[in-house]
Amino acid sequence: MDNTTDSLLETFLFETNSLLEQLDERLINAEKAGSFTEDDVNEIFRSMHTIKGSSAMLEFHSLMEVSHHIEDLFFYIRENGMDALDDEQKSDLFDLMFKSMDRLRDDIVRVENSQPLDADITDFINEINGFLKRIQKAGEAGVSASSLTASGGNLSPGIQYKTDAPYLLQVFFEPDCGMENLRSFMLVTALEEKDLSFQFFPEDVETNSQTKTIIAENGFILAFASQEDAESAIRVLKNTSNIHTYELIPNATEAQKSETSPTDTEHEKSPQTAAAAGTQPSGASATLPSHAKQSLISVNLSKLDKLMAVVGEIVITESMVIASPELQNVKLDNFLKSARQLRKLTDDLQDIAMSLRIVSVSSVFQKMNRIVRDMKKTLNKDVRLTIIGEDTEVDKTIVDSISDPIMHIVRNSMDHGIEDDVQDRLDAGKDAQAEIILTAKHTGSEVIISVEDDGKGMDTAAILAKANRAGLLTKPEEEYSRKEILSLLMLPGFSTNSEVTEFSGRGVGLDVVRKNVEAIGGVISITSEKGKGSCTTLKLPLTLAIVDGMEISIGGNIFTIPIANIRQSFKATNEDIILDASGHEIIKCMDEFFPIVRIRDLFQMQDGFTDLSEGIIMWVEASDKSYCIFVDQLIGEQQVVVKPFPPYLNNFNIKRSGISGCTVLGDGNISIILDVANMYTAAQEMF
Amino acid sequence: MSDTAVVNNIEEVQEETARFLTFTSDNLVFGVSTDNVIEIITNYMIRPLPMVPDYIRGVINLRGQIIPVMDMRLRLGKPFMEYTSSTCIIILEIDSIRIGIVVDSVLQVQNINTSLASPIPIENRQELTNFMLSLDDGTVVLFLDCEAIIRA
Repeated sequence: MDNTTDSLLETFLFETNSLLEQLDERLINAEKAGSFTEDDVNEIFRSMHTIKGSSAMLEFHSLMEVSHHIEDLFFYIRENGMDALDDEQKSDLFDLMFKSMDRLRDDIVRVENSQPLDADITDFINEINGFLKRIQKAGEAGVSASSLTASGGNLSPGIQYKTDAPYLLQVFFEPDCGMENLRSFMLVTALEEKDLSFQFFPEDVETNSQTKTIIAENGFILAFASQEDAESAIRVLKNTSNIHTYELIPNATEAQKSETSPTDTEHEKSPQTAAAAGTQPSGASATLPSHAKQSLISVNLSKLDKLMAVVGEIVITESMVIASPELQNVKLDNFLKSARQLRKLTDDLQDIAMSLRIVSVSSVFQKMNRIVRDMKKTLNKDVRLTIIGEDTEVDKTIVDSISDPIMHIVRNSMDHGIEDDVQDRLDAGKDAQAEIILTAKHTGSEVIISVEDDGKGMDTAAILAKANRAGLLTKPEEEYSRKEILSLLMLPGFSTNSEVTEFSGRGVGLDVVRKNVEAIGGVISITSEKGKGSCTTLKLPLTLAIVDGMEISIGGNIFTIPIANIRQSFKATNEDIILDASGHEIIKCMDEFFPIVRIRDLFQMQDGFTDLSEGIIMWVEASDKSYCIFVDQLIGEQQVVVKPFPPYLNNFNIKRSGISGCTVLGDGNISIILDVANMYTAAQEMF
Repeated sequence: MSDTAVVNNIEEVQEETARFLTFTSDNLVFGVSTDNVIEIITNYMIRPLPMVPDYIRGVINLRGQIIPVMDMRLRLGKPFMEYTSSTCIIILEIDSIRIGIVVDSVLQVQNINTSLASPIPIENRQELTNFMLSLDDGTVVLFLDCEAIIRA
């Protein structure tokens, strides 16, 4: 593939994916409301048209076919209104639409992975067509006047078009002028420029060259909602070359309908105008006020990463220049002034660069709607998903990596959390409909995402017994606190459901979730009350690139500890130390005992304090690990730009020793960023 | 016809000679292809890293890039020598991985006819080297096997 096709393909994938995502959201909302609004129908129709057009251009036939048939289906619905469908049909329609969405998405995934598309789509197409026929039949019985494939007036048979617009214009091109389809399309474009709303048949003149014979034989049909539109179109026709004849034909079916229900027509015309605009995606955003055109561009994420890296460099270099030792003790008024200005500008630049990567979590949250919907049906549980704070914004990398964990937690809640039997809920005095609340909120430097259900809660005794059977316990059962028991759930190989269900319970569950969350520097915790429900909380950093850190020094070397991990720092004397049986140091803090890790010993450093009274103790915490570290001194708080270690060093498994990356300080020196969770593991392995 | 033959001939000769940077470490002379050399720096502040083999001296900040630094003496199992003013760090790029090596001193860049190089006798084989060659002035140059360096 050459470059043009590549970038076309990229645009196609991006566009189609975002359309499908929007459609999904619409479908979910519509299903909740029980019906499609006029706006929904138009939007679906419009999106399908766009997908059809672009996939035809790139020759993805199965995508084109599926979207084409959905478009047909919605054309019918648009013409007849959702009210023509009874409840059963509506629910069938929703199921069919969800299935189609999945189908389209699968195809897109295949295109992304450059796999061949499934050529055998006849079954699926038949399913859509079958449904269309069914509702048509029902519709015909009810409203005899509306018909889908009526050939209006005295047109020759063989041309199929579906409209009930009252004014039809049949245009014949000069015989043997050739390329009738392109001429028709140019005509359409010319009419669009006049801001006329109309439909035209055959619809696929732009993409299908076969239509030229049809047009040559039967003419090109333009359908107008009003006589004025038709008349101004005729004026355009008069100025177009190669047109042989044209004829204005009143649409018989529509005339009849307006006679029988004159009040209805007025009502129907307005959606038609909007709908007709919907057939031309380019014009749609201009004519529908609700879709104000936003000027957006899509940028490759790696470019943003590079930008962020350069901005980080600038911030560091700036402080190197300003804090340059040559400038100390020299009074330079103008320099200081400019330096302050520069600092302000670099701060702004950093903020803007950061904000480029920030997106809202709504895309992830909306996906959960779909999961809850599907599971609701399969598990036969009545659950509503409440979403709070979906506008909360986080770094793109974080949003991408929390999608799977959240999905897993929601599935767990649906599967294990919510009671299987409604009677159980009623007995416990709860609503028959269970609720899962998905919340996101900002708290200063982090974002907190929680998944809460009002189900049966977790049975700590059962968890403990199960963990015991699985041999996961490291101390006697009675010594486990509630919090510790709940964190057992996140150990590898733990799953409370003895039966493996379709959705969860494969034994790889929360441990993977925890790993994913911790990989991006987050913390996961579970709280639960038996009978009342459970809540899983994720604490995530806002961004991975910049960390609020505390600079500490040990033997002249500088380290950075993320502020988020620090609970407290305090002085201690040698008398405060308690030794356990194997000689490990323990200290009491806030009425609890914590082990002490001396970083100097852990990292086998030459220099550094050994006397506890000289240095300072820091109480740190990461996920379920809470302990104290001994360092020489605190230097101060600083925002640092995280740099990963060069890949060569991964040969030495450097991450496992409790360091997660490094950062360049204002004076050009390197500070190592400590990873509180892994440091403790490393210390335990060592001693 | 004859013109192209001459050109081909020249290319052949050029292919055989390559530019090498020579340096010393523990009194041995090493050569590394200039294709792999990015730059030579002196007097750099090395930040030690915990829990790595002793030959990894740490990382340096080379204009914002974090680059690991390896001590050639320690890597070859020789005793450590305090760094002096002639100690250099040669920054190499091997398969787009950058690494610095600490050497006792840098000698020069010279054209070496690689076709004269011979494999190192198996019993005398040094780690990290693959070929050896004696120069006109009698010094023996060991060629650094760059891939072996980044193999940890």
